[in-house]
Amino acid sequence: MIEISPPSKKSEKNFTTRLESVDEFDRVETVGEMFVDRPKVSCLGVSVHYGDKQALFNINLDLGRNEVLALIGPSGCGKTTFLRCINRMNDTIEGCRVDGEIKIEGAEINHSDADVVSLRSKVGMVFQKPNPFPKSIFDNIAYGPRIHGLSGPKNELDDIVETALKRAGLWEEVSDRLHTPATGLSGGQQQRLCIARAIAVNPEVILMDEPCSALDPIATARIEELIDDLREKFTIAIVTHSMHQAARVSQRTAYFHMGHLVEVGVTDQMFTNPRQRLTEDYITGRFG
Amino acid sequence: MTNPTSGHTVESFNEEMRREHRTVLQMGALVRHQIRNAAKTLRDEDPEAARKVIADDLEVNALDIQVAAHVEAILARRTPVASDLREVLTVAKIATDLERCGDEAGKLAKLTIHFFDSPAIAPNYQLLQEVSKVAGFVDLMLQESLDAFDARNIDSACEVIRTAESLDGEFRSALRRLMTFVLEDARSIGQFVDVVLAIRALERIGGHAKNIAGYVVYLVTGRDVRHEDLAAIERDLKITDSIS
Repeated sequence: MIEISPPSKKSEKNFTTRLESVDEFDRVETVGEMFVDRPKVSCLGVSVHYGDKQALFNINLDLGRNEVLALIGPSGCGKTTFLRCINRMNDTIEGCRVDGEIKIEGAEINHSDADVVSLRSKVGMVFQKPNPFPKSIFDNIAYGPRIHGLSGPKNELDDIVETALKRAGLWEEVSDRLHTPATGLSGGQQQRLCIARAIAVNPEVILMDEPCSALDPIATARIEELIDDLREKFTIAIVTHSMHQAARVSQRTAYFHMGHLVEVGVTDQMFTNPRQRLTEDYITGRFG
Repeated sequence: MTNPTSGHTVESFNEEMRREHRTVLQMGALVRHQIRNAAKTLRDEDPEAARKVIADDLEVNALDIQVAAHVEAILARRTPVASDLREVLTVAKIATDLERCGDEAGKLAKLTIHFFDSPAIAPNYQLLQEVSKVAGFVDLMLQESLDAFDARNIDSACEVIRTAESLDGEFRSALRRLMTFVLEDARSIGQFVDVVLAIRALERIGGHAKNIAGYVVYLVTGRDVRHEDLAAIERDLKITDSIS
């Protein structure tokens, strides 16, 4: 159960301005429960520029512990940009500037002393298309623990691989062919392998960028089931274009529009009675 | 707020939502016609017309089945959310309540047959006047609740809920008036019971009109107020207004 902070705390900054049209973005203020008690990840005043173009505007949003947060919005609204801020993936884009405060367990990730490699072991990422390395199933999982120095003797590495594959719900399907190429797996299996690879290094946060968009409904259902299981141990943020996937897998949902965070709310409430007209119009398919 | 029956990127979805909205209003008009006709058969002492009322209830039932099938299809194919979901659920609930109103009108028509096409002794004129009076009252409530649905007007919906709260008083005062007939002539006790059952059927129609008004509040605000009294509903609505 996600604990939403009471209005007396940080959420005093929650806003109640109703946004009736895109033209009103000059004075947009986010509505809803952006802040939670004891957040795993805390983002305050995050803005992102790609050169002269501003992609994100003053985003305030927490990721709670053992929470799945869904990020929704039309293409180009900034949800993936926001996701990539959390593990500094935007550092790899020339001309990209991230302002504001992003803290994981209270530690600022953009601090000059922050270790990006260590950060990315704490914050795993799963992408839209499964991207297994052209190696065996075993080596795909073992790669992270090896480079992060998490593995000791061979037996220990075997255990790490087995545990990660079990957590990702893939062990039963691949335990007898661990040393065959990962590229021989089906799309859904490859995506679960990528999730297993991400969790093998014991991350605290998992970022998922449309992880099911290339999968069939059965493979999608298995990933969604997996996300629900993983929530017991990890904090998860998922970008999805599927309203129904967001409604199924998340506890809170954040709606982005043209770089602004328009509304954040408990998922049940967001999909039954959103506060903002823009949110309502988007989730009911009135624009997109 | 967005009009739930229009504005979708997919125009066929708009049309499906409008179609169900229209069907419910059509069903409401038919049910009101049934209520008025049923009450008229009692006044006119016309068992033939009463049989027609009972037969026409099949049309109401058919519309109820049609709405249920369409709602099922919309839920399966469109998986609506937010105001769309509330609109679909509201349409389904209103159709169910209207179908029951049709059944109650049928009970009234059966009473006409019982009184005027059987060995039973017909009740006196004053007893039947009570039925006509309450029938007019609940017909108006039903009309106002359907108008509130069509216009998504919470104020009108609250007015229906307010009227429903006074319907209970109306029912009790009708009972008191009827009791005087029984006290004057104990032989009319059988007729008294039949008339009370008829008024009870009409009172249930008033209850369904109140339910419909409650669905309108839910449709517009997302609040389920079916089991709240009017004071609590209006207090909640004021709080919502002040927040927005």
